[in-house]
Amino acid sequence: MPTSTDLLQGTLDLLILQTLSLEPMHGWGVAQRIQQVSKEALQIGQGSLYPALYRLEYKGWIKAEWGNSENNRRAKFYRLTAAGRRQLESELETWDRLSTAIGLVLGRTVEAPR
Amino acid sequence: MIRELLTRIRFLIFRKKRGELDEELRFHLEQSIAVKVAEGLPVAEARRQALIEFGGVEAARQECERQRPGWWLGTVAPDIRYAVRGILAHRWFSVAIMATLALGIGLNTMVFTLVNAVLYKPVSVPGGDRLVSVMGRNLAGDDRSLPFSYPDFQDYRAQATSFESFEAIDDERGILSESDNPPHLYHVAHATAGLLAMVHTKALLGRAFLPTDDHAGAEPVVVLSYNVWQERYAGLAGVIGRPVRVDGKAATIVGVMPKGFRFPSGVDLWMPLVPTTDLAKRDNRQLRGYAILKPGVTLRQANAEVNGIAGRLARQFPDDKDLGVSVLTFQQRFNGGNIRIVFLMMLAAVGFVLLIACADVANMMLSRALSRQREMSIRTALGATRWRLIRQLLIESVMLSTVGGVLGLGLAEAGIHWFDLSTQTIRPSWIEFSMDFTVFGYFAALCIVSGLLFGIAPALRSSKPDLVGVLKEGAHSVGRRRGGWLSAGLVVFQFALTLVLLTGAGIFVRALLNSLSINPSVPAAQLTTASLQLPDSRYKDSDARQRFYDRLLPRLRELPGISHAALASDAPGLGAPRQQIELEHVPIAIPAQRPWIAYVVQSPGYLETIHLPLLEGRDFNDIDGTAHHEAAIVTRDAATRLWPGQDPIGKRFRLYDDKNKASDWITVVGIAADLVQEVQENDPRPLLFVPYRQEGWSSISLVVESAADPLQAMRTTVQSLDPELPLNDPYLLKDALEHQTWFLRVFGRIFLGFALIAMLMASIGIYAVIAHVTNSRTQEIGVRLALGATMRNILLLVMKRGLWQIGAGLGLGLGAALPFAHLMASLPFGIARSDASIFLIVALGLASVGVFACWLPARRAAGLDPVKAIRYE
Repeated sequence: MPTSTDLLQGTLDLLILQTLSLEPMHGWGVAQRIQQVSKEALQIGQGSLYPALYRLEYKGWIKAEWGNSENNRRAKFYRLTAAGRRQLESELETWDRLSTAIGLVLGRTVEAPR
Repeated sequence: MIRELLTRIRFLIFRKKRGELDEELRFHLEQSIAVKVAEGLPVAEARRQALIEFGGVEAARQECERQRPGWWLGTVAPDIRYAVRGILAHRWFSVAIMATLALGIGLNTMVFTLVNAVLYKPVSVPGGDRLVSVMGRNLAGDDRSLPFSYPDFQDYRAQATSFESFEAIDDERGILSESDNPPHLYHVAHATAGLLAMVHTKALLGRAFLPTDDHAGAEPVVVLSYNVWQERYAGLAGVIGRPVRVDGKAATIVGVMPKGFRFPSGVDLWMPLVPTTDLAKRDNRQLRGYAILKPGVTLRQANAEVNGIAGRLARQFPDDKDLGVSVLTFQQRFNGGNIRIVFLMMLAAVGFVLLIACADVANMMLSRALSRQREMSIRTALGATRWRLIRQLLIESVMLSTVGGVLGLGLAEAGIHWFDLSTQTIRPSWIEFSMDFTVFGYFAALCIVSGLLFGIAPALRSSKPDLVGVLKEGAHSVGRRRGGWLSAGLVVFQFALTLVLLTGAGIFVRALLNSLSINPSVPAAQLTTASLQLPDSRYKDSDARQRFYDRLLPRLRELPGISHAALASDAPGLGAPRQQIELEHVPIAIPAQRPWIAYVVQSPGYLETIHLPLLEGRDFNDIDGTAHHEAAIVTRDAATRLWPGQDPIGKRFRLYDDKNKASDWITVVGIAADLVQEVQENDPRPLLFVPYRQEGWSSISLVVESAADPLQAMRTTVQSLDPELPLNDPYLLKDALEHQTWFLRVFGRIFLGFALIAMLMASIGIYAVIAHVTNSRTQEIGVRLALGATMRNILLLVMKRGLWQIGAGLGLGLGAALPFAHLMASLPFGIARSDASIFLIVALGLASVGVFACWLPARRAAGLDPVKAIRYE
């Protein structure tokens, strides 16, 4: 599934971790949240979303639990683990450094990312 | 970090259920439809659009599965199943590959077992991995090993802290005799009392040494080895407490050691080393040291420590000046130098055989790769990645090599057994040719590595099929050109290696043939030799020995069936001592510049006994050799070298002994034909014969010519004169000469075997390649025949490629064989300087075998029926 803007390699993981850091969410919710927050610029298809969720789960950064959705349907909720939170922090730092550096090279002033 | 690892391991073991993912995806889809319905689309349309947006479910599912750490392990099992099916489906093809590899891996395992035993494996006694040999070193001269003196040994033992125990042995040959048993010469180890306890070995019967056994004035005791107990005493338990004499001195048998125990090497009898005034001299060096290192002490540390002690001793005692000491493992001490080179050379040779085998198998697989292209194309078209195809092909080849290797283990076991038997009488008894874990590790590595080695090229080739071409046209029309250079290269490589191996084998065989053809006049099959060692205790001087010989010889000659009998220091071909020579009127001032000459001490009648023609002058008489009648007979070679262009008869010379003392002037009385004394040099050297009256030796060989076996009569005659005197090392001269060349026999056979196997494999290799190429050109050949090509044209067309490969292989091989032959000639095992004829014969032989192997498929091609050939699919 193509996304409307090609994401940098590994950025999807960062976006998912950031989204889940607010509250536990199911896969659909994660996709919707990223789409809303990015003002429809980033659309995550299931073809890349679920492999990414599984990858993060296998790495132990998020944890999956079955629960009930808003409309009372059984759904799988993901939440950030302690390891995931640490990972998110270090990835955010890396992102800041990288985006500032790229901004400098491209001659743009970069807004604070958060 | 650890948690992450644990999570990964958990998922590695417990897979996620497939149903979970399906439910999750279904939920995702439903939510998507719900959103579209809420936006106002009809349900059916919302569902349609949502499904389109959603895309392929199976791809996502697979992608999720691939996120699992180690997911690919699960795909190995089907690959193995597939490989087994492939191996079984092409049964004969697989059998051929496995047989080739069984030979290659089996031979390598065998040779590695030998190399491991000779160069690395610890001696199999308790603590054998810490067992070392300790000996002196001559720091002033050539750095060779020297024995210790008893006082030095005691100083080392008292001061060294690296050793758990440190014992010493004076190795001798001693005569064991008693009243009702014939005397016999044995290898006697006079050892310090702790020797047997050092290697934690208890007596099988009676006792080993007591700590007090080597104290001055202790009761003299003897401990027997198992083989002496069995052979001499028929395994009777009553042997304990039996009084015997060793070299005429009384002692009591107190124990028998277990079967196979000959520590340190080939010992028959152990006796305590009781200090004597003679032994207490610091310049009387007779002892060899053996020690067990303390746990954790390295050879380097031990060497550093004992050399520190050596330095102190050298300052303290003038006798120990320039004396160092070295601590080495048994392998380093006794199997260094040439033995090491020969065994490593054998390992290299057998490595070549394996490389040739791998090249053969690689060629077989390559030829199959072409016919497998359709299969590979289909698998690629269905989505298999290249890595997946390569992995599957490699699994198949490693399986083939492993099964082949396991079959080869049986071969290795048989080879080891054969080598063990062939070297039983020659090798030190502490070397045990048997497999251990090191060998097994080597074997396993060999199976895997050779599987990868021969599998990698065909796997790379097969996994890169020309998809469109193959699916469209069929397998036979592509890949011919590209497959060519790789298999051609392998064939060239095989022929080059085979030539090196054949040259090595040729040099051995040549040396062996040379050694068989020496001294043609000597009837080695009718001559029996045995040596006598007259003990100093009963034969005090040369006169006493001379009297014994004078009584013995006439009696020997009177024995029925014996045509000739004589005494000589060494029988023909069994070596000779050397002394420096100086000719009359040609004085040489500097002793080091005097030439050396070999000589044989003999009794009158020796030349007749060995049938060596006397060319000029006369044989010795009974007066020659007495005072003022010093005489010598020289060989023709010695005559021409010492007195070129002159008549040597009547000329005089003198010999210098090792204390640089000159003999009286010796007159030449005769010239004999040339005689080779050193079989291993198989080259007549200048040789002198001197009468035994001139040099009264205590050790001399009886040489007897007879039709039947004279040994019993000889022994009775000797012992009628001296009942305590055994007949040592009795041999038919023919057998003694064979014993001298055991090295050439055993290793010549091994190298010849390797070389023939290599040649067979290389010929099969070139045959298979040419046959395959010819087969895939059947249609083309049919067309050529139909257009009027002659038989000769087709033969040339097919064979051209093979001939070129053979030529290139031989050229390369000659280049590699020259340094190899040079290395072999540098070994002192009677391997003559390599001459060009060996290279020529070997190269011609290999070339004709190779040409024959390409001619077979070429002839078949030339005999094709054009009509059938053109229709050939």
